[in-house]
Amino acid sequence: MPRPSPPPAPPLPRALAARTWLRRNPRAAGLLLGVQALVTSLFVLVITPTSAFRATSERHARTLDAFTIVAPRSRPVLDDDLAALLDANPAQGGRIPARVYWLRTPMIVGEGEAPLLALDAAAQPAFLARVGLRLARGRLPAPGTAEAAVHETLLSARGLGLGDAFGQDVAREEGVPGRFTVVGALAGEAFLGVLDLAYASRPASVFVRRPPIELVWARPGRKAESDAWLHAARDAGGEPAFRVVDAAFARAEIDRLLANLPLLLGFVTGAVALVVAWIVSLLSVIAFHLRRDEFALYLALGHARGRLARKLARESFAVAALAWGAGLGLGLGGVALYAAGWLAPKGIVVDLLDPGALLCSLLVPACSTLGAAFALVRELRRMDPVAVLQRRGA
Amino acid sequence: MSGAALLEARGVWLRYQDGRRRVEALKGVDLTLGAGEFVGLIGPSGSGKSSLLYVLAGLRRPDEGHVLLRGHPLPADSGARADLRFRHLGFLFQEPFLVPYLSVRENALVRRDDSATQARVAALAGAMGLADLLEERPHRLSGGERQRAGLLRALADAPGLILADEPTAALDEATGRQVMEALRAHAREAGLLVVTHDLRMLAGADRVLRLADGRLLPA
Repeated sequence: MPRPSPPPAPPLPRALAARTWLRRNPRAAGLLLGVQALVTSLFVLVITPTSAFRATSERHARTLDAFTIVAPRSRPVLDDDLAALLDANPAQGGRIPARVYWLRTPMIVGEGEAPLLALDAAAQPAFLARVGLRLARGRLPAPGTAEAAVHETLLSARGLGLGDAFGQDVAREEGVPGRFTVVGALAGEAFLGVLDLAYASRPASVFVRRPPIELVWARPGRKAESDAWLHAARDAGGEPAFRVVDAAFARAEIDRLLANLPLLLGFVTGAVALVVAWIVSLLSVIAFHLRRDEFALYLALGHARGRLARKLARESFAVAALAWGAGLGLGLGGVALYAAGWLAPKGIVVDLLDPGALLCSLLVPACSTLGAAFALVRELRRMDPVAVLQRRGA
Repeated sequence: MSGAALLEARGVWLRYQDGRRRVEALKGVDLTLGAGEFVGLIGPSGSGKSSLLYVLAGLRRPDEGHVLLRGHPLPADSGARADLRFRHLGFLFQEPFLVPYLSVRENALVRRDDSATQARVAALAGAMGLADLLEERPHRLSGGERQRAGLLRALADAPGLILADEPTAALDEATGRQVMEALRAHAREAGLLVVTHDLRMLAGADRVLRLADGRLLPA
């Protein structure tokens, strides 16, 4: 006669809950937790600063969220026809003439360029206010002089201070012709500097070889619409009359330049995660061997191996989750200190909460839990409770 | 025998390899244990007492013969045998094997911690002189207290069958008697099989059997 199927096993007692083991075994759990937390923090310390590649570029690109550069093509200046075309933009808030030069700025690898905008002296205060900049120290360039006011982060990154000079007359590899003296430090969102347009437009100046441009800003809340209108006007038949350099253009350039970065990060992440999983598996097996009597007893008392495996997996997961939290805090704290102390003065921006890095760091607890659970289930399946109990009882 | 057959062993043989030596631990053992019956099993070291206990508990599969619990053969599947152990069997070992990071109460509740089991543990602890020690960890207990804590765990969920493997071997005589008295007092409804090498601990047993060289003989 077939045996009637037994009722389901009662729930796992509280004494066997993962939290009971965690709370009562601070040394064993702490060792596992500490190792995983340190590895997670190391992981975060390595991966998070790589966000600087994109974050610094994005920070520079954000400058173009306030205005758009329109550069005439196939004509030396903005003629009346082109001016009329630009002014037909219904989302345009205004525009001013300018010339743009580029100031070399160190990036995490190689160099980038921040715009130095030559503006009419009278227009400078209003323009700076429009792009969220204020004069932190010094003054704005005097009309007709080779002076510059530059964002303080760019100055710090370049090692420049008030009274210092830069330009091709100072260093040949510089992107700005001539010699400019820093007379002001700007603070705020946009990474840029301002020069005097009258000085840059002198007929005798080498600057005049650079064609004039227009800085166009939109009515409040209509930047995207304004840029879209400019793109459409540019592409409306025939040879484009002007170029548009906006935030979208800058961001597309960033995407293009950093397209292969995920390959590198993926490799580093995967390799570290595998090593972590292996180390944690070994440590978990060692910790399990210290608890052989306990699990032999549970098996002898009739606890199913599957139930005990789930208990071990829950313990591994709890340790891994706590270690991830602790490691993340530790790692981000370290990165924050590093970024504030060493990177920020060089104008290098780190995205502390970079979703990619956070997602990558989750591989540590995931691989740890899987590795430990796999190793422990294998140990549990191999365990002969009688052998363990007899050895102890002998 | 004071009840219907609770546990039976029929022609049980157990062989295993010990290094190069082929050991025949059990040689055709036949044994019947009734509900409420107290059977003692004595024998010298190496006679196969513990092996028989592990076979009866389903922790070892016999090479020949069968073990029947309430008339049903123990299943071949180790998981199903574990489930039967979980539901019907109380085990008392020579060493109490208490989980070091759990209190006496928690050790007693490692199988079930429903309210009925909790109430039974509280009552048993009072009767066994462990009421004040329920929240203590094992390292704070004496040898006798630890063995009583092991007994508390074996009796906690009122198993129908209790197997005890040299439960007094590590205790002095007086403490050993206390443990045996507690075992008898609180397992009257259960079938009880006690393996020991000390005949004095089997006072009051319904039957005492002797295992010699893997064969079961009357004492």
